[in-house]
Amino acid sequence: MKLLVGYTADQRGAEAIELASALVAGTRDASLKIAIVLPASTPFNAVYPGGDHGFSTILSAQVDRWAAEALALVPEGIAASAVARSVPSVAEGLIALGEEFGAHGIVLGGRKRHRAGFFSPGAIANALLHSSPMAVFMSSPASLATLRAANGKITRLTAFVGDRPGAREVIGLSARIAAACALPLRVATLISQAELANSEQELGDHLAKTRSYLEELTESLGLDAAIEVVSGQGLDEATAQLSWQDGDLALLGSARLAAPRRLFIGPKAQRILGQLNVPIGVIPTLDVAR
Amino acid sequence: MSQDLRQASPPARSESGLHEKGLPKGTVGVLGLVVIGISCIAPAYTLTAGLGATVAEVGTSLPAILLAGFLPMLLVALGYRELNSAMPDSGTSFTWATRAFGPMIGWMGGWGLIAATVIVLSNLAAVAVDFFYILLAQLTGQDWIAELTTNLWINIPTTLVFIAVAAWISYRGMNATKVFQYVLVGFQVAVLLLFAIMALTSSQPNDPTPITWQMFNPAGIDTFSAFAAGISLSIFVFWGWDVTLTMNEETTDPKKVPGRGATWTVLVIIALYLAVSLGVIYWAGVGTTGLGAGNPENQESIFAVLSGPIMGPLAMLMSLAILSSSAASLQSTMVSPARTLLAMGYYKALPSSFAKISARFMSPSVATFAAAAAAAGFYVITRLLSENALWDTITALGLMICFYYGLTALACVWYFRGELFDNARNFFCKFLAPLIGGIVLLVMFFATAIESMNPEYGSGSEIGGVGMVFILGVGVLLLGVAIMLWMRLRNPAFFRGETIRTRKLLK
Repeated sequence: MKLLVGYTADQRGAEAIELASALVAGTRDASLKIAIVLPASTPFNAVYPGGDHGFSTILSAQVDRWAAEALALVPEGIAASAVARSVPSVAEGLIALGEEFGAHGIVLGGRKRHRAGFFSPGAIANALLHSSPMAVFMSSPASLATLRAANGKITRLTAFVGDRPGAREVIGLSARIAAACALPLRVATLISQAELANSEQELGDHLAKTRSYLEELTESLGLDAAIEVVSGQGLDEATAQLSWQDGDLALLGSARLAAPRRLFIGPKAQRILGQLNVPIGVIPTLDVAR
Repeated sequence: MSQDLRQASPPARSESGLHEKGLPKGTVGVLGLVVIGISCIAPAYTLTAGLGATVAEVGTSLPAILLAGFLPMLLVALGYRELNSAMPDSGTSFTWATRAFGPMIGWMGGWGLIAATVIVLSNLAAVAVDFFYILLAQLTGQDWIAELTTNLWINIPTTLVFIAVAAWISYRGMNATKVFQYVLVGFQVAVLLLFAIMALTSSQPNDPTPITWQMFNPAGIDTFSAFAAGISLSIFVFWGWDVTLTMNEETTDPKKVPGRGATWTVLVIIALYLAVSLGVIYWAGVGTTGLGAGNPENQESIFAVLSGPIMGPLAMLMSLAILSSSAASLQSTMVSPARTLLAMGYYKALPSSFAKISARFMSPSVATFAAAAAAAGFYVITRLLSENALWDTITALGLMICFYYGLTALACVWYFRGELFDNARNFFCKFLAPLIGGIVLLVMFFATAIESMNPEYGSGSEIGGVGMVFILGVGVLLLGVAIMLWMRLRNPAFFRGETIRTRKLLK
């Protein structure tokens, strides 16, 4: 597997490399491309007095050193190289670089930030989650802690699916990733009771129906996957019901609004992202060619 | 966040080819270049800050001194362009003067540029704040709001906020777009022209002063000292123009566009300046009382006083033009001292923490905040010491520009000393023009510096019988000498020529 790491020379960048290394470790053609993107200078932002002041030379020497430090963080056995480029927009630049290198996904390190109760990925992650043609993986310090507890090895994939069309694609793609990484797969569905009729009976029926639907689905795909259907008053409570183990990786599908082969993160996925304390991957729904 | 730079040697051109330079090649045409030039000059700001002080020196000869002030600027800029094309990536006054004259003079060249930009930053912020409150007053119709800016307890904190915001924006590396610059520049030029037309066609001028050819004759200025002061002020109003000459790769045709762009910029700017200054002289006169342009009360910010009576309710447009032009310049000018501080830190001419680059925003971190802190500190000190802080800082700024420009022009002559007489072009662009320009500016520097020791000079603020302008201008340079000697003791590598080599004679 080939991944592109959106790197900044700080703790987040190091965390992104750690997650990316764990993701590609043991796969065929395991390789990382470490991308350092710089803002493109525009002539309409002329620096005066004095122009460049030697800045670009000093900056490129600094970037060379950052790249060397980043490559030193990649464990043995994983092919890694670095690239630096000036781009008008960071997200667009990462997508272009990812496509250039035939990457299967983009990895970002980040911080969890809560704004008015909503998880908000950074501006760059947010742009990627709404436009990337390839999977986007994100780490946070808390999620990295669970990965480290598993000695830096991913131990299981959990694919989040809804009970509406689209589940099949997400499960299928997750299964392919699981197979490539030789990992067990778990399929999870969250049911918010608030959206259902009030009776106990109805809830029970719904849970059973969803479970059997997913069982049929995995069977028809020829998969051996654990299935968990959990419910709670709201989405947050349901998410909290799910048990996690060290080394888990959560996968979410993109919203049905997405253009073919592009990510578009839906409100539910956004909500779930905020609750999870494991590394997360968001995958474009339609079958990714690579 | 950032790492220390531990390399002693200057960086080679990135050997790995890792970092591709992201300059968009060839997108700027003549019109674009004129817009960039005018935005760097920021005419609405320079006129309000510089016109009054210049009238105080030369009276009705204002148009003449504006024309005369452009000449040394042009001569020096020709030399600048040669240095820039010989060492495109290696910087500016600091590195150029170091390569030509060695570390000590190079250090002072860098310091002069930093000092000039720090002074202009504090002045830009102050002008932006003044017009911020004036605009608020005009928008709400509450005149008392405009007076808030005279209350130091309000003025100083607001100015510090403006400086902090500008530093934050330039640290975050947010760029102005093409559309933004076009709108900003177009608006500025339109409002200034409107002001000039309304002043010249006014039916009730304050002190109708007939416009005569004598106003255009530099020989009509009474004394040499008034002439020198006028020149150093008019250098300030053209400061920014030379950016058009140094843009090459960015233009659609590097052979033709920079020359044409520079010519059109200067024609537009001179026309604008002449129109506005004739309008001011015709309408307000140069009298030292009331609304006269020579009234010390009006020196600090001429449009703050005149735009209301001349433009009526449209004065709001003028306030908006000045506020936007000074706020935009505040942000873009912040980058300049930050980059020179960064380069000085990198080459060990200053502590190496100045060379830190933010890993997230790819901009100087310590250097940006140091530049902002210096501008804030300079503003607070001058505001507390001088009754007419803006006037004195503009005069001190003119002094500082003359210093580092003059030094850089002579650096050009000395740097190219082995090839000056190879052909006619070299003789003119590398020798004659920068030599004359450099000498003229340094003469202006010394003449104004000596003159400014007089406590009566400028706004008339003084400390211990010495003029405020002298204390600000020469004091800042002496502070630089002190820091340089301290750095030399502490970390002599740069001063031994180990980080930047002085260029030996060519051939």
